[in-house]
Amino acid sequence: MLSYLLLSGLTTGSIYALVALGIVLVYKATGTINFAHGDQLMIAGFLAFTLHVLLGLPYLVALAGAVAGSFALGAVAAQVGFRAVLRTSLVNVVLATLGLAFVLKGFARLTWGGISDYLSFPPLVRPEPILIGDMVLLPQQLVVTAGALAVMGLFALFFRLTTIGKAMQATADNPRAARLVGIRVERIHLLAFAVGAAIAGAGATLMAPLTLLYPDIGFMLFIKGFAAAVLGGLTSLPGALVGGIAIGVVEALAAGYIHSSFLEVSAFVAIMATLVLRPRGLMGGPPPRRA
Amino acid sequence: MTVRPLWVGLAAALALAVLPLVANPYLLFVGNQLSIFVILAVGLNLLVGYCGQLAFAHAALFGIGAYGTALLKVHLGVPFAVSLPCGALLATAVGLAISLPALRLSGLYLSLATLAFAQFTLWVFLHWEPVTFGAGGFRVPAPSWPIPGVTAGIGTFYLALALAVLLTLAAASLVRSRLGRAMIAVRDGEVAAQALGVDLLRTKAMAFGLSAFYAGVAGGLQALMLGYVAPESFDLFHMALMKAMIVVGGLGSIAGSVVGAGAVLFLLEGLRAFKGAQEIAFGALLMGAVILAPRGLAGLLDRLPGWQERYLRAAPAERAPAAAVPREAPP
Repeated sequence: MLSYLLLSGLTTGSIYALVALGIVLVYKATGTINFAHGDQLMIAGFLAFTLHVLLGLPYLVALAGAVAGSFALGAVAAQVGFRAVLRTSLVNVVLATLGLAFVLKGFARLTWGGISDYLSFPPLVRPEPILIGDMVLLPQQLVVTAGALAVMGLFALFFRLTTIGKAMQATADNPRAARLVGIRVERIHLLAFAVGAAIAGAGATLMAPLTLLYPDIGFMLFIKGFAAAVLGGLTSLPGALVGGIAIGVVEALAAGYIHSSFLEVSAFVAIMATLVLRPRGLMGGPPPRRA
Repeated sequence: MTVRPLWVGLAAALALAVLPLVANPYLLFVGNQLSIFVILAVGLNLLVGYCGQLAFAHAALFGIGAYGTALLKVHLGVPFAVSLPCGALLATAVGLAISLPALRLSGLYLSLATLAFAQFTLWVFLHWEPVTFGAGGFRVPAPSWPIPGVTAGIGTFYLALALAVLLTLAAASLVRSRLGRAMIAVRDGEVAAQALGVDLLRTKAMAFGLSAFYAGVAGGLQALMLGYVAPESFDLFHMALMKAMIVVGGLGSIAGSVVGAGAVLFLLEGLRAFKGAQEIAFGALLMGAVILAPRGLAGLLDRLPGWQERYLRAAPAERAPAAAVPREAPP
């Protein structure tokens, strides 16, 4: 029982960590939160569904397509919508991204089905569980967890090794100094929104075979990812991983040992407790400067 | 000639007051909903537009007002004359309670804390089944009015209208009072406000409490009007609706709140049959208003010759409420 709960917590936690990673990335670069992050993820999931299930393309092609589509959507949304309000105030950014979230949700509802239409994604590997001692492992869960960790590893490499990644880090650290050394800060903002969305796209495609796809999944995942990001510290990328896995495990344990309905609520309780007791989160520093 | 928002508003209320004499039940419902939306929007604008606190708990407080009022009636048989004020006070108490942690948080952290609180409240509505009857909701008996010849629907209509007028007038005078000015000062710069002797804690707590009171009254009226309460009326979509009302109407404007509530209701009813289209329309409206017309319809009203809404503002869009975060000059 315990090992099963821990493993399923780890799996959902790694998805939350991916969502949180995108949120933290945008927060570090721009000092704001993209409330449409979850719905961008949901759209990417439906995109992968269209490519893989409806058009019959291989899973990896669907993954690439969802990541690319999500990147493009993120870039367009940032360019058309957020760029104009980023310079004004936090209230405006939050409201504009919230507006986009509902546009995407409505679009998905109209395009891919009605409110209770849950689309299922075929499993990637054989569904039979593997028994190791008395531990029950679902191959699907292992694939998802490994995939999520791989995406995070790739992102960490991108951030550390490439010039663009370093420019993003510099902008997050100090936008004015970054501008002085010739980094185009506006472009970095745009890129942060797009890369954040691309990570969400990868997360959506990884997660889809485990869960069902439906238009409201976006906001649910956004809140979980936001909770994970806050728990880890909004400014810390490793914190996103720790926070995501912590939320996933706590949720699974609460659902297993208390009552299944506690699955949904434990993240909110975690958010409220974190914000009251330690608003900086586990690994967070002071808030970034807004450019 | 000076066009005073007060006279325009009272004329509109008067026009609404004769509606039951001529209208069919559907129009009566829409008119009734308008009063409730106006109360909601004015209350939310006090907190977000005037005090600059980006909270997401308004739909939940609306729900607490509705559940409080209706459950007192259903479980304990308390008459509406008592349960409606009790529901509103319960929402106020909860609003004050959530303002306590909120006083330590600003900007994004406040949005997140209140968002989590709203989702938690919704979860309680859904899962505390012995008391709240769960996801399916429950029926509320129709109120009976002591005046002969007044049906339940018409009585509720006039009650909602009277409260909407009263609460809007109260808000309009509040924002010019000492407390209102303190709220605006907090919005425009917490440090500066404090330096001027504004008590931050007290001002923010009052804004939260007042806004929650408005939401609670609106919730009680909603329960009376529909005769039915269910959790789905208080979810995030409704939160976004309320945000759309004040953004479309104009942050930091009482007249704007009223006009915005009307505009959103009009759109909501026009797209009643299509949930997906409703979401797209509201999302686009919210986004479009923020990007293209940050001052909302109030900005348009201001251009009417002679229109004078005496409200104090430096366009709130220009000042970040997250005053703790240093801002750099735009390039």
